Amino acid sequence: MSSGFTSDYRIKLLATGILAGFAVVGMQLVRLHVLERPARLAEINRARQEVVVEHARRGDILDAHGDTLATSRTKVALAIDPWALDELLAAEKKPERRERLRQSEQQKRARLAELLGLPVAELEKLYQPVTRDPRSSEIADPRNLVEGRIKVRFVKFNEGVEESLYARLTDGKLYPQLDPKTSQPTPAAGLVGSRYGVRTYPQGQLAAHVVGFINADAQPVTGIENFADFYLRGADGWRESEKDGRGRELAQFRTREMPAADGYTVVLSIDAAVQRMAEQELAQVADKFHPQKATIIVSDARTGFLLALANWPTFDLNHYNQVTPDGIARLNNLAVTDVYEPGSVFKIVAASGALEDRLVTPASTFDCTLPSIVFNGRIRNLPAEDKSDHFDHPLSVAEIIAHSSNKGAAQLGMLLGQQKFYDYARRFGFGERTAIGGPEKTGWLHRPEERDFDITRLPMGHSVDVTVLQMHQAMGVIASGGRLLRPQLIREVRDARGSAVYRYAPVVRGRAISESTARTMAQLLMGVAASGGTAPNAAIAGFEVAGKTGTTQKLIEHQYSTTHHVASFVGFFPASRPEVVISVIVDDGHPPGGGVAYGRLVAAPSFRHLAEQLIPYLDIKPVVAPGGSGLFALKAAF
Amino acid sequence: MDSARIPAISQRFRLAANPALVIVACALALLALGLTVLFSASAAFRQGTYFYLNKQVAGALLAAGLGWWASRTDLERWRAYVWWIGGVAAVLLIAVRVPGLGITVKGSHRWLGYGVARLQVSEFAKVVMVFCLAHILAVNQTRIRDWRHGFMPAMGIVGGFTALVVIEPDFGMAALFLAVGLVMLFLAGARWRHLLATVAIAVALLSLLLVFNPNRMQRLADFSGKELPYQLKQALAAYAAGGLDGVGLGEGRQQLAYLPEAHTDFIFAVVGEELGLGATLGVVSLFAAIFIAGLAHLRNAPNLFQFLLVAGALFFISMQALINLLVVTGSVPPKGMSLPFISAGLSNLLVMGLMVGLILNTRRTWSRPDFGGGRALLEVSPERPEADAP
Repeated sequence: MSSGFTSDYRIKLLATGILAGFAVVGMQLVRLHVLERPARLAEINRARQEVVVEHARRGDILDAHGDTLATSRTKVALAIDPWALDELLAAEKKPERRERLRQSEQQKRARLAELLGLPVAELEKLYQPVTRDPRSSEIADPRNLVEGRIKVRFVKFNEGVEESLYARLTDGKLYPQLDPKTSQPTPAAGLVGSRYGVRTYPQGQLAAHVVGFINADAQPVTGIENFADFYLRGADGWRESEKDGRGRELAQFRTREMPAADGYTVVLSIDAAVQRMAEQELAQVADKFHPQKATIIVSDARTGFLLALANWPTFDLNHYNQVTPDGIARLNNLAVTDVYEPGSVFKIVAASGALEDRLVTPASTFDCTLPSIVFNGRIRNLPAEDKSDHFDHPLSVAEIIAHSSNKGAAQLGMLLGQQKFYDYARRFGFGERTAIGGPEKTGWLHRPEERDFDITRLPMGHSVDVTVLQMHQAMGVIASGGRLLRPQLIREVRDARGSAVYRYAPVVRGRAISESTARTMAQLLMGVAASGGTAPNAAIAGFEVAGKTGTTQKLIEHQYSTTHHVASFVGFFPASRPEVVISVIVDDGHPPGGGVAYGRLVAAPSFRHLAEQLIPYLDIKPVVAPGGSGLFALKAAF
Repeated sequence: MDSARIPAISQRFRLAANPALVIVACALALLALGLTVLFSASAAFRQGTYFYLNKQVAGALLAAGLGWWASRTDLERWRAYVWWIGGVAAVLLIAVRVPGLGITVKGSHRWLGYGVARLQVSEFAKVVMVFCLAHILAVNQTRIRDWRHGFMPAMGIVGGFTALVVIEPDFGMAALFLAVGLVMLFLAGARWRHLLATVAIAVALLSLLLVFNPNRMQRLADFSGKELPYQLKQALAAYAAGGLDGVGLGEGRQQLAYLPEAHTDFIFAVVGEELGLGATLGVVSLFAAIFIAGLAHLRNAPNLFQFLLVAGALFFISMQALINLLVVTGSVPPKGMSLPFISAGLSNLLVMGLMVGLILNTRRTWSRPDFGGGRALLEVSPERPEADAP
């Protein structure tokens, strides 16, 4: 390779050097493309790939008529990226144009402040560029670095605005533009939004214990929110995709996609109107009697579906977190989480059992003055009657119920025998959860072989613990013609488009007593609300009201208290064709005039008041027997 | 290639295999690949999908025009104005430093012009330096081994251009000027000891510059450290992503805000990701082919001026390409240097057009058979040695 102008070796030397350089590049390329590929590829995938979760919308909770009790909305939390403005200006090379851009952006920010209803100065403050220290082992994009610190690109200033407002905030057409003709209208630089779902309860505290709530970690905690979470939550979707160096998703490189399935809507059997009546009633009870707690349950006598379940004290679902720590108990659904001694209302078990087994007729009489009785070869003391009661003649079974005789109930129980009595109590649903959903107590029903099984006290509802709902369910047995119906809250589950996915039918858990016994019991229970009964004030003209009062002394420090009582009235109407079952339980109420908080005084008026509202609302017709009187049926049965 | 052994009968083949034409073909191939990859690399930029492509296509057309002109112009006529040309270049190199005249980007003053039409003066200074240096070395051909009358005047030109580029500041480009200048001196027959002394002084000055520039020291430290600099890391990732056959045109991801300067200095990494090892080795081979063809072409140089002119152009192309390739493959510390024919950039593209044009210019006269028309004979300079004749 000689040209004559230069020594051959000089050209050869240079040629060797340059070609060696190219050879080095070639070897490097083989190393980079092939040999080091696996290691680097893992790193690349880590940086590029992302799984974008598409959150499913949580389903609504509706009442029986479609009123919304719980719903989900999307909100947009607002933030400012203070560096966006800086970078926008820096990208503009020409100083005079940059100045105009700066002024234009200033006008846009003023407009943004106006749209947000913020003072301009406050918004401007958010645009002060901020930096933070890099986290350990964080490798930052140099474009995100200022003097070794990392640009903070999300200065949050708003907890959340509605989607519609956010759409307005980001609509460039609402902003003054630098050159309106040439460029796309853009909103103020730096506004960033981050969407998130929020659960809201439009009715506030209505049916709070039934509906339940979602906590700050989006976990369903109580009520239907928790119980029906499987239906409500839906399934989050996801998509595998890639992101660019600034973390923006690259839609064109999506590989796999699974759309989100929105949650199902749960339709409750709760009727918001009935629920509201019950809650108002409780509020009045609370006002008048200052109880420790109180519960009202209303259900459909024919199906077991609950129309209302209200506890006092209660809370607002939207502000569940504002409940004070000492008042945390108000979050509990007392109707199932607390137990009480049901007292006289429990007498329906012994009476029904004795009638069902044909041991007695409504007219069979018992001496209700006996201090004790021989049972199974042992002398057993009978319970005392209430101080105000003196029964100078033997009482018929009808009278035992109507006057709520403790000695009479005990004798009915003994007539049945321990095992039989226990079996009937079980058939009425005691000693077993109602399975209404969520945390629930079983109560305490002693087995006959247990020492604590006291046949003299049990029939009158002592030494037994039940939940309000269990007692309500037991009364429902008589109202439904002897069937034990499962109390249910959910009527229907609908998919996101509104078509029914699952409908709940009434569930008969078993037959406790025959239909005729149930009818007889209903008639006996009408005597309670009749004159001479324990709660004539529960009667409603033209309607046959059946029910049973209960007044239990509270156990305070292992002693039955003479000043603290649980007053209850559990009943249904119309007695010969029952439509609704209502329970009113007031724990530790105090009548304004002083004295014992009898079920008659504290609970029965609420029952009646509620029933009177339900008659027009549910269009309950008075029962007119062929004879022209509602009482005909009762008389005919005797 | 020994043209003497090629039979006269295959005249057509001889023309087709002309080294200068190989250079043009390789350059056009690189340009075509460059435009394709540049579109892919810059389509997602916020300036717009076609912004860089349009600019580069316009630049390529201008470069072709310039190259065509340079291939036909009478070099001997321009030689008469050689010091005027050198002077204008020096003035313009100084002008970029004058506030209000020069355009400043990221602290460097390298551009003159207005709007999109801005030119990097130092790029054009490459051609000017090669032209001036080839002239003075040809003039001092017999005194080149003399330090004062042979070496120093030529070295003064190299040093002057290098210094003017250093103050922009553009150290990478200055190093390239110095390297090509020394290569030309070396080829012109300068003494080893003169060259080595110059290199020693240059290295000493360079070290001083390094020490007094914390920024540059940091870069060097970053490169030798355990964690690669961000940009280089992203570039190396691109080759890995590309593998043997690449992810496909337009499918590359590294240019999507991962790799800074994906369309200019680091465009080779995009080639690597989208087209794979075959394409990157292909690009290296094309540059190597240009270099080898250029050396073969040099054999036919009729005089020292033209020999050095072509050699200077050739080494500017080859060494710039080599430095860029070494940088973007992580073989040497990062240094801003664009890849000839491929990187986006108007000035570099125009200068590459000019340089290829100069190589073609010589082809017109050199490849003409000696028995051809009278013009060729007239253009042969009197100093032409007879050694080259068959």
